[in-house]
Amino acid sequence: MDKFNFIGKDMKRIDTTSKATGEALFAADLTLPRMLVGKILRSPYPHARIKSIDTSKAEQLPGVKAVVTAKDTCGDRWGVFKYTQDQQFLPTEKVRYVGEEVAGVAAVDEDTALEALSLINVEYEILPAVFTIDEALAEGAPLLHEVYPKNINIHVKIDVGDVEKGFSESYLVREDTFSAPEDAYFQGEPYAVAAQFDQAGNLEIWMPNAGPHLKAKPLSNVLKIPLNKVRVRKITIGGAFGGRSEIAPADVICAFLARKAKRPVKIVYTREENTVCTRQAHSMVTKIKTGVDKEGRVIARDIVCHMDGGAYSSTGPIAVSVPFLCMEQAYRMDNVRYNGYRVLTNKPIRGMYRTHGRAFACGVDIQLDILGAELGIDPLTMRLRNARQTGDTTPTRSFVASCGMTECIQKTGELSGWQDKFGKLPPYHGIGIGCNSVQTGFPMGIRGGSQAFIKLNEDGGVTVITGIVDNGQGNDHMIVQIAAEELGLTPDDVQLINADTEVTPSDPGSYSMCETFIGGNAVRLAAQDVKKKLFKIAAEFFGVGEDQLMAKNRKIFVINDPEKTMSIAKAVRLGLARNESISGEGSYWPNVDSNREWVKNPFGQLSETFSFGAVIVEVKVDPETGQVEVLEAWAAQDVGYALNPKVIEGQFEGGFAMGGQGGMLSEFLQWHEGRVLNPNQLGYLVPLAIDMPKINNIIVETIDPNGPYGAKEAGMSVAMSAAQAYSGAISNAIGVYLKEFPLTPDIILKAIEEKAG
Amino acid sequence: MKPKFLSLTVNDETHQLMVLPNRTLQDVLRDDLHLTGTKDSCGQGACGSCTVLVDGQPTRSCLTLAAAVEGQKITTIEGLAQGDKLHPVQEAFVNLHGIQCGFCSPGMILTAYALLQENPNPTETEIRKAISGNVCRCTGYAKAVEAIKSLAERGVSHG
Repeated sequence: MDKFNFIGKDMKRIDTTSKATGEALFAADLTLPRMLVGKILRSPYPHARIKSIDTSKAEQLPGVKAVVTAKDTCGDRWGVFKYTQDQQFLPTEKVRYVGEEVAGVAAVDEDTALEALSLINVEYEILPAVFTIDEALAEGAPLLHEVYPKNINIHVKIDVGDVEKGFSESYLVREDTFSAPEDAYFQGEPYAVAAQFDQAGNLEIWMPNAGPHLKAKPLSNVLKIPLNKVRVRKITIGGAFGGRSEIAPADVICAFLARKAKRPVKIVYTREENTVCTRQAHSMVTKIKTGVDKEGRVIARDIVCHMDGGAYSSTGPIAVSVPFLCMEQAYRMDNVRYNGYRVLTNKPIRGMYRTHGRAFACGVDIQLDILGAELGIDPLTMRLRNARQTGDTTPTRSFVASCGMTECIQKTGELSGWQDKFGKLPPYHGIGIGCNSVQTGFPMGIRGGSQAFIKLNEDGGVTVITGIVDNGQGNDHMIVQIAAEELGLTPDDVQLINADTEVTPSDPGSYSMCETFIGGNAVRLAAQDVKKKLFKIAAEFFGVGEDQLMAKNRKIFVINDPEKTMSIAKAVRLGLARNESISGEGSYWPNVDSNREWVKNPFGQLSETFSFGAVIVEVKVDPETGQVEVLEAWAAQDVGYALNPKVIEGQFEGGFAMGGQGGMLSEFLQWHEGRVLNPNQLGYLVPLAIDMPKINNIIVETIDPNGPYGAKEAGMSVAMSAAQAYSGAISNAIGVYLKEFPLTPDIILKAIEEKAG
Repeated sequence: MKPKFLSLTVNDETHQLMVLPNRTLQDVLRDDLHLTGTKDSCGQGACGSCTVLVDGQPTRSCLTLAAAVEGQKITTIEGLAQGDKLHPVQEAFVNLHGIQCGFCSPGMILTAYALLQENPNPTETEIRKAISGNVCRCTGYAKAVEAIKSLAERGVSHG
């Protein structure tokens, strides 16, 4: 008999049928009675003082039902942390980037709303602006915010061991600088929000989000209404990739418009607004100095990274830290120093991105390749010699409970035929490897744990109530799969109520790779709570111990006497007749160090466990055009345990496409004085089906001691390793180690020409 | 600009509408007929999310004026299933995990349907070329291609 009925099996997802028929509703698809069209007026200047805003003409335009500006707000400043509260949803004094929100309009139709925007007269005093890290840090540069001297928003400083001594004891030391411009999230679904208030002042609001509770709290704060009046509703979400975790000005503006107009309002972003005015990924310059011994083992490493954060903090402290933390999880080293700076510029706001930090991760991996080449050690062996191991403690003091890094490297190496290929491929063919590691949820104040309720119905079916949200990755199915498994039911017996702040309990959100580990554990515990109650009833009925029972196929039966069975429905009815509670509750708070803080104290257990990944790609470069053809790819990740293997493969493939094919070959934002030149689909090149190589997925399982069924997370370590495999393979193909990313044809051709002299 | 009378045949139903002549097929489908399975992602005919079939041909509804397709047979994603029974293309996308967030899925499924109508046994390259006008940010396309390939191999192309 299989250990599990559903866990570990390939199952079709519960949510995809309605997506295949067009029935699934996304925020932009909603229509409410008397609904108005909302539009946002945006700053045309990168840095300007707002002298006055005159909305009188717009208000007089027939069909305009509400106009909001900063005057309608209390001027609150939003920030993920207390020390980063610097963004007003509608600014009172200054605008700081082209595209920043200045006013909102609600009208009976789109044309009227757009005309109203053109009638709002804003008088600006244009201020000098900074567009690059160097300009922002220059002596006498204009300041974006008085509270951040020298435009340095965040400085994370980590110093472990004795780095200088480590360098002096190293056999080989080198220092290189790597850089990459900004990338865009480019979710399929442009941002959209719909909001309405009822007579009692309850707000109902729908928007793509990575955690409804993360939206509800700031809405409650800024609207000055209690949290139980903020009802962020469940809606199908067209991708997040880290970009939809925070409250957005559009959420607040839409709610203000709906309250003022006393009618529902919907704001739907254009593709360009989604690219410029939601979040972007950071550009960065990373200087890495690494010392190794004769065998290629890292003795010491010193990294200085400058990230261009744009105009506001967003998730700044996390963004500065995560590339470093992933690296220190992936690779062993005793002596390490990190100085990470997030610098403010007059450009759109940057947040956490699925493949955050390509210049950082590629720098670390390319430099290992260079050091290896100087020592006569191939890149794969360099990775094996430095790979993190189970039972290690990272430099910033996280214990690693399970680690399949070595297995990922070995398996990708074997299946790709690395030994027969590296150094033996024809000219302009190359092979490269990248490795990385990610967290499974990190602490962020009260948003640390998840809770779930399970309600039993008289027919034996259940309703699971949890705050877990699905951004498209399959979390809804994961919840149902776990509940059905634990309770001996089928997925059809499980109804799901989730991601709705009116009824679902607190959850950290689909962010920092925590929903399987933290949310999944909470659902499993809730199901076990229900099962315990049912087994108590059945055990008394059969006169056996509770540990003699098992639930399967909607029945409870005695393990050693399988003839003795009782339907779950009957156990429920017996429980009800005995006036016993048969609902269940589960709560999971990960074992992380609550004293750890991103800037003040970056030490202690960061995340309860970590996933690990390795990616290899083989490429062919056309030396005439600089075009790269990826011949084949191998992607491995230690996922802990694969709850639904096909879903995990899909995460590997999607992450590989975003981080590797797009992130390393074609994706970057182009600029002119703070203005994005390529915000649309034709200008920003995301991978197409014809671009993608064959991807060989390799699922590695280490059975994490604390993950639900041993699971960790489902593909982010592949996403975070793919860029390095590309940069390594292309460098290998042309015989030049590349340090500016992404590797567009002009960068590759320039390198080939320079090499030829 | 004055609204004009328009008779539009969508999913075998004929609708009598008064619409402004500058309105796109996408807007009329989504806003007037509430067929919101047709998605709006880029607004410039480059992402394929708004794909519908006009006389069987995949067409960008965001670049097509509603008035231009009067009298033609329009099929949206809502018109593909027969009652509760999914069309085999939809079924393959569901069963083989060709869908993640689902925003691009209606357009991609309709493109795949049209491909299989025209070429019941496409090669993998033909499949990849056919759906290269449908941008997906989630899947890396692998499972969508597998889904379409499974139909080619089974020779299932007709609805």
